[in-house]
Amino acid sequence: MSIYAVNKLCYRVVHDPALREALERDPGSALRSFEPPLSEAQVTAVIGGDVGALSKMGADHFLLHQLARFHLFGLDFGSYAERIRAARAPVS
Amino acid sequence: MTEVVGAIGVPHTPAFPVMVENGAPLAGELRQLYGELAARLDRLRPDVLIYFTSDHYNTFFESSLPIFAIGVAESASGPADYTELAQYTVPIASGLAQRLQDQLVRRGFDIGKSQEFQVDHPITIPLHFLRPAMDIPIVPVFINAFVRPLPTAARCLALGRAIGEALRGDDEFARAVAVATGSFSLEVGGPRMNDTSHIGVPDPDWVARILELLRSADAERLVAEATEERIEGAGNAGGEILDWIAMLGALGARAPDYLEVQWDFGHAYAAWS
Repeated sequence: MSIYAVNKLCYRVVHDPALREALERDPGSALRSFEPPLSEAQVTAVIGGDVGALSKMGADHFLLHQLARFHLFGLDFGSYAERIRAARAPVS
Repeated sequence: MTEVVGAIGVPHTPAFPVMVENGAPLAGELRQLYGELAARLDRLRPDVLIYFTSDHYNTFFESSLPIFAIGVAESASGPADYTELAQYTVPIASGLAQRLQDQLVRRGFDIGKSQEFQVDHPITIPLHFLRPAMDIPIVPVFINAFVRPLPTAARCLALGRAIGEALRGDDEFARAVAVATGSFSLEVGGPRMNDTSHIGVPDPDWVARILELLRSADAERLVAEATEERIEGAGNAGGEILDWIAMLGALGARAPDYLEVQWDFGHAYAAWS
């Protein structure tokens, strides 16, 4: 399963209000029925708002930030930025 | 003959309309900058706008992605990605758009076309400020600036030049203005965000260098310096310089008579008349 599914999810979030509602109501069910399918690791990261992990998996950042724009999975721009920075900070 | 009589370079930050409406601290500056461009565009008396833009994963997606495409519908509505903003129907010079796509393919540019699509904020935000009456038809020319690999700067300059040539052989309109929209250095949602928002300007030196090269009307030099590495270092929206380069190709070697920068956004407001 490629990261394309996560990118597609973020794209659909922008354009599909019904999907946004479903993701708020029952994220596990909405994500597990998403096409193309997400891997279980991807589902876990998305539900946890773990954009750092998704970033490391190769998700497109321009698309990924849309999750924070729509306040999904407990994200806002502040927590989003914090998690991306923490995940991508160089290891000393 | 359709002559490219001038050009406009313009930012499309989606937050700007609301900032202006709400009287945010930046509102006065934005009114002045967009107002200046609107007045200059008006004085150019365009019959059509050749609009170089980069889709932000809205009109197209990775499911099917053209490197170059022309929108040939009669009109298109949007912004599809910001339904909370004022929605517009943008008229498209469909006949000219069809002929340009045809001519470009014949000239060796494998440019796609879309008969039915929605537009996103890079088209509607500038027009919201510059021409809210939406009374000038556009030809949207989409250049992939987000999904790697991007087209080369040299190819984008050549594309713009080929569009300029094809326009000169077309009789529907007399006066065209080339429009380019986008930042020179901008990171959206990536690790190079600044400390206070979800955007950042990773390479302000590149912004300064672009301004210098625009002032000296040196598109060839700009192309030589707009390498894949430089664009990559400029942020995940840094590819939008390609829209400006294509616009310069359509316009020809001329220096702008208006050029103002907003360093915090890595973008500029420019006019050639």
